[in-house]
Amino acid sequence: MKTMLKAALLATIAAGLAAPAVAQDALQLPNMSYRTGPFAATGTPHMNGQLDYMTMLNERDGGINGVPVAFEECETGYNTEKGVECYEKTKSEGALVTQPWSTGITLQVLPQTNVDEITVYAPGYGFSAMQDGKVFQWAFNPPTSYWDGASMIVNALGDGNPDNLNGQKIAFLHLDHPYGKEPIPLLEQLAEKHGFTLLPIPVGLTEMQNQSAQWLQIRRERPDFVVMWGWGAMNAGAVTEAAKTRYPMDQFVSVWWGAHEPDLRLIGEEGQGFRALSWNFPRSDSQVMQDVKEYVVDAGKSQIDQDSGEFDSMAYQRGVLMSVILAEAVRVAQEHADTPDISREDLRWGFENLNLDEARLEEIGVEGMMAPFSTSCANHTGNASAWMVEWDGEKFVKVSDLLPADRETIDALVEEQAAAYAEANAPWPTNEECDQ
Amino acid sequence: MLYRTAGQFKTSYAEDHALFPVRQDAMLLGVILLFAFVILPLTASAFTFQALLIPVLIYALAALGLNILTGYAGQLSLGTGAFMGVGAYACYKLITIFPELNIFLAIALSGFFSAGTGVLFGLPSLRIKGFYLAIATLAAQFFLVWLFQKWGWLYNYSSSGAIQVPNIEMFGVTVTGPRASDLVQYYFVLVVVCLVTWLAINITRGRIGRMWKAVRDMDIAAELVGINLMRAKLTAFFVSSYIVGVSGALFVFMWRGAAEANLFDISLSFRVLFIAIIGGLGSILGNYLGAFLIVALPVVIGAVPAAFGIPISSSTVEHLNVMTIGALIIAFLILEPHGLARLWAIIREKLVLWPFPH
Repeated sequence: MKTMLKAALLATIAAGLAAPAVAQDALQLPNMSYRTGPFAATGTPHMNGQLDYMTMLNERDGGINGVPVAFEECETGYNTEKGVECYEKTKSEGALVTQPWSTGITLQVLPQTNVDEITVYAPGYGFSAMQDGKVFQWAFNPPTSYWDGASMIVNALGDGNPDNLNGQKIAFLHLDHPYGKEPIPLLEQLAEKHGFTLLPIPVGLTEMQNQSAQWLQIRRERPDFVVMWGWGAMNAGAVTEAAKTRYPMDQFVSVWWGAHEPDLRLIGEEGQGFRALSWNFPRSDSQVMQDVKEYVVDAGKSQIDQDSGEFDSMAYQRGVLMSVILAEAVRVAQEHADTPDISREDLRWGFENLNLDEARLEEIGVEGMMAPFSTSCANHTGNASAWMVEWDGEKFVKVSDLLPADRETIDALVEEQAAAYAEANAPWPTNEECDQ
Repeated sequence: MLYRTAGQFKTSYAEDHALFPVRQDAMLLGVILLFAFVILPLTASAFTFQALLIPVLIYALAALGLNILTGYAGQLSLGTGAFMGVGAYACYKLITIFPELNIFLAIALSGFFSAGTGVLFGLPSLRIKGFYLAIATLAAQFFLVWLFQKWGWLYNYSSSGAIQVPNIEMFGVTVTGPRASDLVQYYFVLVVVCLVTWLAINITRGRIGRMWKAVRDMDIAAELVGINLMRAKLTAFFVSSYIVGVSGALFVFMWRGAAEANLFDISLSFRVLFIAIIGGLGSILGNYLGAFLIVALPVVIGAVPAAFGIPISSSTVEHLNVMTIGALIIAFLILEPHGLARLWAIIREKLVLWPFPH
């Protein structure tokens, strides 16, 4: 017994101290997941989607160009402290990319990845100024950024012309966290430009499930619209509170994370008219989704909850698309490097030269699920457009064409904030070779 | 046998008052320091530095600060996380206002801001004690975190509300920011921690420390023998918050690299309090043992299934981890309610007497 205990203890210590072995025969594309903690409800379907697409590639094609994908998950629980630990762990295991999955963790690892030369891939989240590829050489947030999203929402609220909002009041209900504060600088500029009043209403991490104070304020202020930038338990809390206070749902708009069926099912019919901006739209009959179903879900290799309709959900299929973009970057990198065994630098090149046009999206089998976009050396976001989706009481339906964003305002702000970031983190190498 | 103290005669008062009157204690410490200063830095990987060594040291320092207040002076505090925040934000403001300031000096100075805040929120301790004081410090916790969020000047009005640590050089070596090497940061933290620990040991066993202990054990009796309660309690708040503030500055500048207000919320306070309680209230060594159990052990346990090639998902590992650590905490507290430091004291006592039972 004693010797066993000793052996176990020694092994434990050795396991903790020894650097994990680096596997060479697979593409190390780790993901920082949070299937535990307060944000697990929204995190899990996304992570399932990401994982299942990569599993499907391994099952169907034996990986990407013949090299299997090691899509290891590292659990963070949305905790930035764990995020740093995961970053260090995956780095020592030879990760090609880091997917921080939280704006907080992104901000934390962003300076470090620039020194370690590892690509940060933050699909549809993270720091919007990452669009500036000259400053953020190693960071990518395709297909679209929060500032793009905020601008598209403002355009949609003004029925295509944001000047229609002149004199109106928009309440900005957001999580009091770097993520929720992210669109404020842009919204302030748009408010000034188009003459509407912006009313930021923060929701603290501890008040996510009880937002009566915030909704009381909304009732008192009588805003023309409520724009929500929430996550996890906050979204469910907000829609139930809106239903309770009988706030008109057609004046309530969320960013893409609010397009989450389980939250809306809580209020069902009462949620009719609730809109959200989404850069993806689920299409379960697409080639990719059918392949995922055949090779992963039906083969019992998926963790999804099939009875709850997770397969058809916005979140799950968004997760699939996140992996589609990552796999495409890997493929581009492999072709450029002329070897299936790519390096970190190759993958960075791949992300910089993504060209997911209509033809390519159709070739992959995801046509109609997301808007086409392309990245470049100077533009690391791609600025894909997004749709407005509306809750009809049972599911989300598309209610708009692809929406435009105010490029001029956003690009100016991106340049300003990226320069400020580089200055605050000096010495920060910039890539001057990029042409616009 | 190993710990035989027979034959070690003290021939002067100075020797009797030495930091380690028993030779074996000094030798053991020497071995630990040799490990900390030479062997670990030579062998550790970046992951070990970032996930194990640096956080354990910083958390141990924070717990040490709390232990002075709670363990030595008997004043319960739930505001540790916020006081760490004061140190971190003070250091950030000092560095951004005076960029040429030496970072070592900036961290040392930032402790004073935290100490001042600590004394301010310690004032209620003159009237209330026990759980009631805990509530008062809880108010400090919530108020300060709210202040970190709302007062834009503190984070230089950055749009995300987070503070980012810049690259700072000291004598030509980058010590903070993304360009700093793990080794440099580790040594920086280690030196600060050793220095503060040495100071803390000497304060707690000297006149001031005895004053604190007298207040802790019975404040009316302490007052009757001529101890100024106000001075005793406020010095405890001052010294404790100073150390906590320094640990907060190290926490952000030497380890995290960026921070937002929510980082310093109540869960951080509880984490530090757990370290102090499980390590042992009223001991210096306990903070290190506690920090190892609470901070490092989950990381080590998390690596076990992968090391043995057991295929379970990382979220399951996380759930198992929480359960294991919870069970261990309960087990240790049942085994020795006075903390790990007391457990070590008992082991040491047995070793001194060995092979005799009494």
